[in-house]
Amino acid sequence: MPDVNLIIDGHAVSVPAGTNLVDAARTVEVAIPVFCYHPKLKPVGMCRMCLIEVYTPRIDPATRQVVLGPDGLPQLALMMNKLQPACVTPVSEGMVVKTTTEKVKFAQRGVLEFLLTSHPLDCPVCDKGGECPLQNLTMQWGPEVSRFDYSDKVHFEKPIKLSDVIYLDRERCILCSRCVRFQDDIAGDSVLGFDNRGRSWEIISKSEPGFDSKFSGNTTDICPVGALTNADFRFRSRVWEVRSTPSICTHCSVGCNLSLDARHNQLMRVMPRENDDVNEIWLCDKGRMGMRFVESANRVTTPLVRQHGKLVPASWDEALTRISSNLSQIAAKGTGQVAGLMSDSASNEDLYAFRKLITETYQSTSLDHRPGASTDVALDDAPLTAGVGKGTSLLALGKGTTVIVVAADVEEEAPLYVLRLRGIQNRGGAVHVVNSFATKLGSGASSDTRIAAGSESAYAAAFLKLVLEAQAANGFDRRVRNLDDVRNQLNKLSIDTLLETAGVSRAQLQKLVDAYMTATNAIIVYGRTAQHVGASVTQTLANAAIATGKCGKANNGLIALTAGANTTGALALGVRPGKDGAAANEFWARAEAGTLRGLMVVGLDPANNNPAAAEGLATIAKHGFLAVQTMFMNETAELADVVLPQMAIAETDGTLTNAERRVQRFRIAVAAPAAMHPTWQICAYLAERSTVAVPASKNATAVLGDWEYAVTSDVTEEVAQRIPRFGGVTYTSLDLSINSWGRQANESVYYDGTSYTNTEGNGVQIAALADEPTAPLPMAFVAPVAFEPKGEFGLLLQTPVRAYNGGSWSTDSKLSTVQVPAHVLISPSDAARWNINAGDRVTIASPVGTSTVPAQIDKNVATGHVLMPDVAGAPLHLTLGAYTRVAIRRAE
Amino acid sequence: MLGAFLKGLGTTFKYLFKKPVTVQYPEEKRVVHERFRGRHQLNRFQNGMERCIGCSLCAAACPSDAILVVPAENDPAKPNSPGERYAARYEINMLRCIFCGYCEDACPTNAITLEHQYELSFYDRKSAIYDKSMLLIPIDKGHGEIPPVLTQLNRRPSPPAQIDL
Repeated sequence: MPDVNLIIDGHAVSVPAGTNLVDAARTVEVAIPVFCYHPKLKPVGMCRMCLIEVYTPRIDPATRQVVLGPDGLPQLALMMNKLQPACVTPVSEGMVVKTTTEKVKFAQRGVLEFLLTSHPLDCPVCDKGGECPLQNLTMQWGPEVSRFDYSDKVHFEKPIKLSDVIYLDRERCILCSRCVRFQDDIAGDSVLGFDNRGRSWEIISKSEPGFDSKFSGNTTDICPVGALTNADFRFRSRVWEVRSTPSICTHCSVGCNLSLDARHNQLMRVMPRENDDVNEIWLCDKGRMGMRFVESANRVTTPLVRQHGKLVPASWDEALTRISSNLSQIAAKGTGQVAGLMSDSASNEDLYAFRKLITETYQSTSLDHRPGASTDVALDDAPLTAGVGKGTSLLALGKGTTVIVVAADVEEEAPLYVLRLRGIQNRGGAVHVVNSFATKLGSGASSDTRIAAGSESAYAAAFLKLVLEAQAANGFDRRVRNLDDVRNQLNKLSIDTLLETAGVSRAQLQKLVDAYMTATNAIIVYGRTAQHVGASVTQTLANAAIATGKCGKANNGLIALTAGANTTGALALGVRPGKDGAAANEFWARAEAGTLRGLMVVGLDPANNNPAAAEGLATIAKHGFLAVQTMFMNETAELADVVLPQMAIAETDGTLTNAERRVQRFRIAVAAPAAMHPTWQICAYLAERSTVAVPASKNATAVLGDWEYAVTSDVTEEVAQRIPRFGGVTYTSLDLSINSWGRQANESVYYDGTSYTNTEGNGVQIAALADEPTAPLPMAFVAPVAFEPKGEFGLLLQTPVRAYNGGSWSTDSKLSTVQVPAHVLISPSDAARWNINAGDRVTIASPVGTSTVPAQIDKNVATGHVLMPDVAGAPLHLTLGAYTRVAIRRAE
Repeated sequence: MLGAFLKGLGTTFKYLFKKPVTVQYPEEKRVVHERFRGRHQLNRFQNGMERCIGCSLCAAACPSDAILVVPAENDPAKPNSPGERYAARYEINMLRCIFCGYCEDACPTNAITLEHQYELSFYDRKSAIYDKSMLLIPIDKGHGEIPPVLTQLNRRPSPPAQIDL
């Protein structure tokens, strides 16, 4: 848009047309006070705090020309002959704006005096005190005294619970509607609203249960007063007493930037830290309130070793010696006898060191980051090949952008992506959702296609077929490999059959393909179901991105919503089964066969809900050696020979790689509850104590170097040197920051408490294969797989993700009351068929067993489809993969 | 030389006949001024509730970082102080305190006052930390009514304004 020139308080300003005066003034560091306006929200002009004098050139009504004064300059006229609200007044050419005149000051004092007539002024008690825009603005712009009777304030009952985590204090509320607009426009959960009028005007929650949103915590940030407070931080500390440490959230693959606020070595609250490339200034409730497990009294704090069948506390030295001597002995018997399992939410450093320990010290390629259950997803390298290009910023995307979300429930898998994808849609882009069940993102998306359960790969194949047809007209990039093979194979598939399997019409798919092909920026997002079905979906979608050249450049490519916070890092750093190595779900058979005798498990609980794994682990513990590093005692740890305590994210430092391959650094916020070592250091200790003789030939080819680490950054640097993809990713480069939304130095005054300025680094995006300009991009054909119900098992069971899954992260969290209980969702027709009522217990029978769970009836579930959320306590051992054929009966 | 010596002795001699300024402490104690700043105390309201609402402003004002306040939420059924918040822990390190009285100035409820007690000595550093139980005055020694701003807990909405016609 063309730039418009105007003058604000004597400063010449040139900003794009359409900019409002508050934002225009910010560019020259003129602060116009605001309450209801927020740069991330649409302006509404409700609070009248931003009233200013605006002069525009006088226009002669007859000639439509600017009237010039005797001095040759345009004559100015006060706009509308009144003060104008700056937040809803767009800039225009030749405007002259005055923000500090007596008239403006009079208005500002008046507005503040009025706001304070019904504000209780209980600042000493209020949690917002200290970062409260109302306090700040009153100090800077407010009147010294009030003419109103102090005892005639409006009073409401003190805090009412909007939900279990958000409290509303109505008398503090200044009715700016920031919270309502955030929920409506940004989060897409319209659960807040206004009620009554006049002095009884108040914010209410319209949902049941109250304030039913995964983003409710953000409203407490943007609330310009202390009306909304969150249960997690209520009265824990004053905001100026906390020490903030930059960190990263490990609850999902978004990698939201956090600020961990601690006082006296105790975590007080978790706040979002702004990073426009990741979480803007938002944070979901899981990230905000799911960090209390750190201070749980149930943490494992000392190493435990098994003596006479019981786990007893031991010294670190004893425990490490025991692990090392046992694993060394087992490793010396032959390669592959030792295996390693590590959580894909661990840091890059821990993953790297662990891989080095298992592959180089213990000479094994049996290494995995999945727990070895039927819920394991396939190893998916597509994002490392055709993931969104370097420099991608979803915040910059709008018109001309097509995002296709395939087989993902974004709100449950990676909540923050809902806000970011909705943002693209709000700015004029299109978000198309394709899924086998209804999702929250889909309900507000540009299009929401429901495909038949189990037909994801057929749909992907049909999509690719049409994409290749469309692309053939434009020709293909020279970097594309295997194109002919893929086309030949695809030609053997009938588009009609594929579409019939998926249950969508050709016109419907064609529309989506057209949207994809014509988009300037095209992104494909896929989630758990896609990865669970496997390469037939993920590789096929990657093929589409490669063939059309919609990868390898900024804002184009794939985004995979992975299960762990660092799955991308685990894949890139090689914590995955290598050549001749077993994958996690093969470990248990190997254990029974006696070819796997030593296992080290870090941060995972494979025995949970998985009888095969429990048996395998017991066999390993009995005939070999099982070492477990964990934060909480769990079923796997109960079987172990040695249990080591694990550090929480807040207690250690390192880097994490998010779904968009952005490596970000987190730091130590609080000290561990007892003397503990980070996992990379434990690996180094074990390697030093190892007695395994490394063959000379192997020693020469050892790629990962020695174990000379003193601090975490030593590992980071080694990763940067030895893993090509991570080249240049050091603490120095990770710490570079850029200011978001043009935040100015003086702005904390009125955006205080909204989030933290990011001065500690925006992270570095590592390159995908497609980002290298000359790298050949191989396509690969993977035949679609079909899941069809048959015989006695006439229903298809799917295990969708739930954010509130009741995992160990919810320990001591205020969110523990909203964790999803184990249940199944069935369609009304299936319910009628087997005479099941909502809440009845049903027996699920799959080829591998039966179990009983309560049922809910959901009209959005298709006939023949059963959803069993992947939550703690759900009988997931009944499943055989992405889809399982089951039968359902009402339990007697 | 000798002149200066005599002059000095002369002064000493003069004071022999004046009333001494010293007192026989500790048998005899001097009365301090009304505004003397001695050991702190935490006051109560007339009804026995703690005046301290745990706002930490004293700690923020303290130039020597001698005060620690850990706030918590009042149990509405059995509140320690008026309002939602109270000080679960309140500690003053008397070795750090410089008795400047800024805490008194910062306190919005006159909960902390510096009193006339000046006999502070300790055998070890730990005992120099005065906690809430040592600082709080007895429950029947409170004074003053709770200000309206702190009595809003569980209060019903205001009645409609009465207009005299």
